[in-house]
Amino acid sequence: MAAGKPDKSELDKGRKKRAFKKNLVAYSFIAPNFIGFAVFTLVPITFAFLLAFLEWDGNNPVKFVGLENFKALVKDKFFIASLKNTIIYSIGTVPLTLVSSLGLALILNREIKGRAFFRTLGFFPYVASLVAVTSVWTMFFHSSKGPVNAVLYYVFRVPKENLPNWFTGSLVLLMLILFSVWRFMGYYMVMFLAGLQTIPRELYEAGTIDGANAWQRFRFITLPGLRPTTFLVSVMLTINCFKIYDIAVMLAGGSTNTLSVSSMVLVYYIYQNAFNFWKLGYSSAVAMVLFVLVLAVTLIQFKGQSKYANE
Amino acid sequence: MRRKILVLLLCISMAAAMFAGCSPQGGSQTPTPTTPPSGGSTQTSEDKVTLKWALWDYESTPYWGALIEEYKKVKPNVTIEYTDLGSTDYMTVLAAELSGSGSEFDVVTIKDVPGYATLVQKNTLEPLDSYIKAAGIDLSQYGGITDQVTVDGKLYELPFRSDFWVIFYNKDIFDRAGVEYPTNDMTFEEYDALARRVTDTTFGSEVYGAHYHTWRSAVQLFGILDGKHSILDSDYSFFEPYYEMVLNQMRDGVAMSYTDVSTEGLHYSAAFANGNVAMLNMGSWFIATLISSLERGDYDPELCGNWGIVKYPHAEGVEPGSTLGTITGLSVTAVSKNKQEAFEFVKWVSGPEGAAVMARTGNFPALSTEEVKSIIASLDGFPKDEQSKEALEVSNLYLEVPYAPNVSEINAILDTYHKMIMSGEISIKDGIAAMNEEVAKLK
Repeated sequence: MAAGKPDKSELDKGRKKRAFKKNLVAYSFIAPNFIGFAVFTLVPITFAFLLAFLEWDGNNPVKFVGLENFKALVKDKFFIASLKNTIIYSIGTVPLTLVSSLGLALILNREIKGRAFFRTLGFFPYVASLVAVTSVWTMFFHSSKGPVNAVLYYVFRVPKENLPNWFTGSLVLLMLILFSVWRFMGYYMVMFLAGLQTIPRELYEAGTIDGANAWQRFRFITLPGLRPTTFLVSVMLTINCFKIYDIAVMLAGGSTNTLSVSSMVLVYYIYQNAFNFWKLGYSSAVAMVLFVLVLAVTLIQFKGQSKYANE
Repeated sequence: MRRKILVLLLCISMAAAMFAGCSPQGGSQTPTPTTPPSGGSTQTSEDKVTLKWALWDYESTPYWGALIEEYKKVKPNVTIEYTDLGSTDYMTVLAAELSGSGSEFDVVTIKDVPGYATLVQKNTLEPLDSYIKAAGIDLSQYGGITDQVTVDGKLYELPFRSDFWVIFYNKDIFDRAGVEYPTNDMTFEEYDALARRVTDTTFGSEVYGAHYHTWRSAVQLFGILDGKHSILDSDYSFFEPYYEMVLNQMRDGVAMSYTDVSTEGLHYSAAFANGNVAMLNMGSWFIATLISSLERGDYDPELCGNWGIVKYPHAEGVEPGSTLGTITGLSVTAVSKNKQEAFEFVKWVSGPEGAAVMARTGNFPALSTEEVKSIIASLDGFPKDEQSKEALEVSNLYLEVPYAPNVSEINAILDTYHKMIMSGEISIKDGIAAMNEEVAKLK
């Protein structure tokens, strides 16, 4: 063995050192983001988990109440109403948005005249200010002066006293769903358009040669090719739907910005309990329910996705 | 296996990211130890003291600046630094500011009773009783209002502004219709009949006999004027006749429908300024707004320049001049390091000198004296008729919301069902039954 040649263990050490250095560089790049995430997201979320089992008003000493907050939820009419409304809203919005944004993407993926213009048009509701577009909607569906009710009155001869109040009762959820679909389909359309670009053209050519008609090409080439996009879109949509707050307050809140039993949604109820009633523990318990709900739906979607992928 | 864990983690973090906005700010919850009030301030009156004061809408509210200026003349060694927290969500923002020990406020303005209840329960305010006793303040000068916000024998605020509801009316509309003006002694039946007489439902030139803002106070609280009921009762059937009166008026086109007012977000001032509302029930704060907006030319004097006020209508057998009111008060925070100095300021603002400043700017001080009333009645732009001046006499003032520990929640419940009753989602009877049921559930 020649002198001066480093033995194996020393070589290992050097390699480890280099690897450590490399990691350190990587960590230092991640750090700014991670520290921000930890301080502003991770810690508060962990704290919110704990809060669900406590009673706290933000200033007085904390009191441990165990599962009391969750027990109270079951009997809370407003919680049940907000849970119900949120679920109905999501069930209505997710598939409708998915279908309409996919449809829009398929149409605008063709070589039609003014394609760029129509794409922008589709995307516009998403970038327009929420305050502005909700005002337009409320005027549009205004019970006595809105054009929609005017058409119902003059064209369809609906008697004046039977004209619907679009922002109250059971109609308000329909309004929220329609508004959300209209607002968000342009955004998801862009994602689908991107997804469509990834499907190789040869597949369509091969399909055409094999005698597949338009529907078959869509069913057996486009849809499977879009599966990753569809999955991403449906997960994002579901999460966004469960988080609904601003749209509900802007459309159904009226001049007092309060939601009644027919339009109450979970995030609004969380806010109301936390910052109007200062029942931070109870509000965290509601937030936990929302969290579990979203987690469950997302897991189911992941499961479904991997099942399809292995087909 | 690894992928599974990764997927799970991804799911959790995606779902969790949505809480980023709604988790409470952490922080120490123990208030810093406070010095006993009886110990008094160790500073001599010559020491420079800076007091931090929380308020809202400094620019558009004339009296904040006037009070600070005047106080400077009385106590040159005290500097008042204000922080404008904005008027929307003021009490919510303030409650968040006072949570934990990070607050620097010495004096905070109390905008409403539910917010006051929150701050008292959070133990963020200093009880003022020992200070009041030491300063020899006679609370009876506030006409019993302070009793309605006393908590377990302790008072945490002194009112400096007090508003009461009156009926604003547009004289031109009554003149055109050839109908006599409303009076200071109207029963609800007379009021309803009068509103119907001036109403014109002609399409395109509608005149509304009455207008109701979307607040529940504008309808429900007709019911508390008999002095026997309050929103702390657990039985709200006394709201019923008033819901019936107002909903019938809306059905018959005597008043704009609630849904229209609500979806349009129509402000009561805009409704009155349009010149097609004959009578509007609203708080006395609207007097100052009307005067200054007409003066600046924001409102067209042709449409609403000829206005007057009368006392609230009353139920059969109830003394006229009974009305509902709200108070704005000042409190000293529990964490203030200059409690004595802070109280001196609170005392001055809510006392006769502060009251004079308030009246000069067209606002109603809580300390209401004959002098104050005559200052307001002689303001430029205040109606010249005797009736309007008389309307400033209040015989019984009931707070819209008196103190109760869970008053925020009662408020929210009543708001919810008010909205549903008014928009026709639920019948009056069912709505009131739901109010009774939900309020009874509160601890």
